[in-house]
Amino acid sequence: MGNLTEKPELNEKKGEIGNLDSPKNPFDYMKREYGTVPLDTKRAPFQWVSEVAYKNVHRIVSRGYDTTEVMEEGYGVVDMLFIDYQARIPLVEEEQMLNYVMILALEDGLSMPAVMSRMVAKSKTFLTQAAGASILAFGHAYGAYSAFGNRLEQYLNKAEAEGISLGQAAELLVKENIHDEALGVSNLMLKDPAAKRMMARAEKLGVAGKYIEFTKEIVKAAQKLSDEPVDLDMMGATGATMLDLGFSPEATWAILAVTRAFATGAHYIEEVERDGYCRTGQTLTPKEFYDGPEDRPVPPLKDRSKVAKSGICQSVDEWVAAREERKKIVGSGHSIVEEIEDPSKKSGIRKVGKL
Amino acid sequence: MDREPLIHRKTAISYKTEEKTVMRGYDLSELAEEGYSFCDALFVMYQNRIPTAEEEKMLKYEMGVFMEHSMSPSAVAAIGVSAGRPNLPCAVAAAVSTFGGVHGPGAAHGYMLNKYLERAKKEGKTVDEMAKTLVDEYMDAGRPVMGMGQPQHIDSDPRAEPIHLRQEELEIEGVYLEFQRALEKHFHARRKKEGRSYVGVNVVGSGNTALMEIGFSPNAGWCLGSVCRGFSCAAHALFNMKKGRAWGASRNEPMVQMIDLSMIKYLGPEDRIVPKQEDRQEYARKQKEEGEYKKWVI
Repeated sequence: MGNLTEKPELNEKKGEIGNLDSPKNPFDYMKREYGTVPLDTKRAPFQWVSEVAYKNVHRIVSRGYDTTEVMEEGYGVVDMLFIDYQARIPLVEEEQMLNYVMILALEDGLSMPAVMSRMVAKSKTFLTQAAGASILAFGHAYGAYSAFGNRLEQYLNKAEAEGISLGQAAELLVKENIHDEALGVSNLMLKDPAAKRMMARAEKLGVAGKYIEFTKEIVKAAQKLSDEPVDLDMMGATGATMLDLGFSPEATWAILAVTRAFATGAHYIEEVERDGYCRTGQTLTPKEFYDGPEDRPVPPLKDRSKVAKSGICQSVDEWVAAREERKKIVGSGHSIVEEIEDPSKKSGIRKVGKL
Repeated sequence: MDREPLIHRKTAISYKTEEKTVMRGYDLSELAEEGYSFCDALFVMYQNRIPTAEEEKMLKYEMGVFMEHSMSPSAVAAIGVSAGRPNLPCAVAAAVSTFGGVHGPGAAHGYMLNKYLERAKKEGKTVDEMAKTLVDEYMDAGRPVMGMGQPQHIDSDPRAEPIHLRQEELEIEGVYLEFQRALEKHFHARRKKEGRSYVGVNVVGSGNTALMEIGFSPNAGWCLGSVCRGFSCAAHALFNMKKGRAWGASRNEPMVQMIDLSMIKYLGPEDRIVPKQEDRQEYARKQKEEGEYKKWVI
């Protein structure tokens, strides 16, 4: 139970502490209570709430299915993804399609997740730390399935609400997002047929739906509007296929990031096997990599007032001018503008990153 | 668009050109087109080989049964991280990172088996004899035997024995299962002799045995298990992000939330006055001399 109490014997002995007695404060700090908050008996006690799964001493149950029984009946991990995320057993063709997608998503060479895993590995960590870190590489540019999927939803809804055709909605989407990294159409797969084969497989298996249809329209629109040759890329093919399999944009994002983490474990292992670990201070950065201010003497501390320049801006004009100057300092962060909002509401739609 | 490599490394895992992505010599797209499963691809990734149908079935079973475990440290981590509403991958990364020396210690179990199997060879002992040695050495030292016992499934882990049985049914029993079964036999016998309660094999004990049997290294097996759990932890995080309350402390919910103030129980030093700066040295010296603070040092 909690023990909230006034404790005047402590508060009265303290005297003045810093600005805590300032009349500008909207409170009397010295009258504040100590102790922890008692248990709230008027509301239900805390419990872990889940629609996904529960377990007891003898069973683990996901969406109503005992998971051991699911495996004993001949299902597998890919089926479990449908159960966990969609609360349903998939069609055989859907299971086949998700297997196909996951194989393609498993490995991507020395791409960012693999690099992150390798970098963490070099610090002599557990493998799980490196695999976990690799998942963080999935953002709104690389592996941006949430951004891609939510955009498709947004323009499909627009098409329905405004009564425009899929082609028109696709053209609008491309016009408004042509430079976005998660468009799903780019020059990355002009020589690699894998993306188109994935969609063809979805069609052959009969699992293609409105998202693949819409993505094809997006490809056509992008090819019409782009100055350079572009085609469907893996983001577009994978994102659209996953949506047609019934996964939400966020579920797609998570499933494919985790899928890649299986491979980044191998990259962790190879990095340790081949190159070993890296000590603090070991890695050098050659001067030729450096393009910051020239080497300069540190001014004597006694001269601080002569050399130091205040960063305080007294007016908006002054602030605007200072900000423009600060933007030139690479690594200061002044040239980046982000909107950090709750991604659970509209995940990945807002532009994140550089101006 | 710059397509230069981010780092310069020799790698035997994969390469990627404008035309294709090739893993261990196989074009990924061809692998999928041929109808192989994701589990097949994991054998190619970690073992540079296409598995037998039985091995593929074993991996499919093990990963499927391990994926979802409701509220374990991994799911709790994912839900905890999601309370601040970062991007979803942050919650999933945290979940995977919870796998350590206690929660799903797949690699530790694998290394233990390998170490004692090597000793069996070196010391000329049978698998059964060496399993007994392992149990005795661990229990004499008061160390937990990896792969035995589960804090929630106290009777027996619902996943564990069925994995053993499936491995036997698929006729892919080898030295690892023989060793693990022997380990369990000697473990149970010793606890019984000591009048202690029954502690069953857990999913690491059986699942990791199966993974090692089908050729995965301790770390590869650990990766398969812990990353697979990431799938379900992402679902738990997503459920909380889409249907739960951010922060987990709202007083407007009918149920007390995860980090409601009343959930805090404090056991540390009594409330006390912050010393004035002019008294600081004397206060600090006395505190150090008295040494009471040491009981709180962690």
